[in-house]
Amino acid sequence: MRLPRLLRTTPFRLTLLFLALFAAAASAFLGYIYVATAGEVNRRAQAEISREFESLETAYRQGGVDALNQAIVERATGERPFLYFLADKSGKRISGSIEESPVANFTGDGPTWASFKVTETDMDGAEVKAAAKGVQQRLEHGEILFVGADVDASEAYVRKIVRALWGAGALVILLGLAGGVLISRNVSRSMQGLVDVVNAVRAGDLHARAKIRGARDEYDELAEGLNDMLDRIERLMGGLRHAGDAIAHDLRSPLTRLRARMEVALIDAENGKGDPLAALETALADADGVLKTFNAVLAIARLQAAGAAPDQKSFDASELASDMAELYELSCEDKGLDFKAEIVPALTIKGNREFLAQALANILDNAIKYTPEGGAIMLRARRTSSGELEFSVTDTGPGVPEADRARVVQRFVRLENSRSEPGAGLGLSLVQAVAASHGGRLELAEGPGEYNGMGPGLRVALVLPRVE
Amino acid sequence: MRILIIEDDLEAAGAMAHGLKEAGYEVLHAPDGEAGLSEAQKGGFDVLVVDRMMPKMDGVTVVETLRREGDQTPVLFLSALGEVNDRVVGLRAGADDYLVKPYAFPELMARVEALSRRRETGAVATTLKVGELEMNLINRTVHRQGREIDLQPREFQLLEFMMRHAGQSVTRTMLLEKVWEYHFDPQTNVIDVHISRLRSKIDKGFDRPMLQTVRGAGYRLDP
Repeated sequence: MRLPRLLRTTPFRLTLLFLALFAAAASAFLGYIYVATAGEVNRRAQAEISREFESLETAYRQGGVDALNQAIVERATGERPFLYFLADKSGKRISGSIEESPVANFTGDGPTWASFKVTETDMDGAEVKAAAKGVQQRLEHGEILFVGADVDASEAYVRKIVRALWGAGALVILLGLAGGVLISRNVSRSMQGLVDVVNAVRAGDLHARAKIRGARDEYDELAEGLNDMLDRIERLMGGLRHAGDAIAHDLRSPLTRLRARMEVALIDAENGKGDPLAALETALADADGVLKTFNAVLAIARLQAAGAAPDQKSFDASELASDMAELYELSCEDKGLDFKAEIVPALTIKGNREFLAQALANILDNAIKYTPEGGAIMLRARRTSSGELEFSVTDTGPGVPEADRARVVQRFVRLENSRSEPGAGLGLSLVQAVAASHGGRLELAEGPGEYNGMGPGLRVALVLPRVE
Repeated sequence: MRILIIEDDLEAAGAMAHGLKEAGYEVLHAPDGEAGLSEAQKGGFDVLVVDRMMPKMDGVTVVETLRREGDQTPVLFLSALGEVNDRVVGLRAGADDYLVKPYAFPELMARVEALSRRRETGAVATTLKVGELEMNLINRTVHRQGREIDLQPREFQLLEFMMRHAGQSVTRTMLLEKVWEYHFDPQTNVIDVHISRLRSKIDKGFDRPMLQTVRGAGYRLDP
């Protein structure tokens, strides 16, 4: 099962292609080695035989057949490694170290080469056949001369080289194939993990994640990218699902209330009693509340989906803080709260002015809503020592217990003691979304502690990264 | 006053037309961008209400085309909920005001009214006068029945806007947008507190209140 599948993989096909190219290069290289070694051995043997032939021919030219005969007899008994055969015009043997010429059917006059076997006695006395080679030619006056040599040693050498070359070729192909299979399997296994994840996600399992092997290669990089992407998708989908559930949950009661009011108003109007106008006005106010909730949820969802707030520009954050202070100061006074603002001038920031204004307004709204009469609220805008821009609102209300701080930021979460206050519980969620869409964060901490018999208060800070 | 509504949602357009007719406007409705543009090109309208997303031609193109042709009829741009960028896009195309759907009808009414009367106060005035109230824009003083009223800078701006739109309903959102120049949705009624502070200064001690609360809509400065 594994192999046919492997054959289909891209890396394996690439391996085969490279193997073919490599084999072509290797055979050219090995071919050259063959010509340069085996060919050379053959050529050298032939050259030596030719030289011997020529030296005998010289003797023949100077002293005729007798001198040649004598030279052959001398040489054949000597230590020379050559084989000789001399015959007269009719082909009858005159002398030589072999009984007959290995050249069969000698017809022409020119040099004729022949390969043959000679029977020799080796050092142990056993008879062995050895490869030999020789040339035969008709001499000036018609005699036939053959000179040969035992080339068994060089032939064996050539054979060895050829064997080595075949071996090398086979090795190249085998190693290439094995390497290809190995690489393909490795790559396929790496890819398979990613393919499995994609298939799982396609089948609906958003929790599937690719395994990071820790090799820090491009597959790990791809896997990490894939995982990040899935994390984000899952978070967004989770957020949307949660928002959907929350909207359904939170809008059900005002919508039910709205419907009931209208129904009662209708009955009253039919019976000619009650004030249908007042009922309609309350219904309208209910509908406005529902719309506000929708607006806030959508703003949060859009910010989260976009990742970064749209339309970011550089502007004076101190001015923004002063405007908000001015806008909310009267509300504080109205409720009997002591309001103070400490705003460092000329703080520049890059961001979406409207969203940041909305975020600050939400924080101030909350502070005013939850701080009892006689309390105090302080708005600060400053640059921290690390260069971050910090807007903070500190109140002297009951505060939020540490265990609940992470929770109150979530959508629609309202603590028990705040249920009586108006609002949908989206204020801090929106602040959080605005902070995140500017690369910043929302921090909740304890306020100044005991104050006028209340406390410990809450400090809400919107911290934005330093602008480079 | 003639209003042209360019809107493909027939039910929304019908409700809008009904409300505007009740308020005494003459209303014409075009169901898509192309029809709306050719209707608008005939001229004679005081305000155009243009939806952003429409078949055949979108609202941005309609407004851009009209402005390119030199038509300066005030345009109120409408767009779907939650499109954070639409306000900028609409205003850049040449719209004069912008409203997110779904809107409260009094909000739409107030904005249409403000746009329809805008051209009447085209001249640059140095003083504003509404009934007993007089505002000098040069030395920034306000008098009622000859008595000087001391106002903070923001209160002055607030009153100036109310005086420029005297007799018209002005919503809280409009005030936040035009006086404070912020476009967001305050959860509590911060604007109300500013209005009541202003009211205590211009109405307290006089026989008749000028700054009225309009139920379900906002405020109105009556002469």
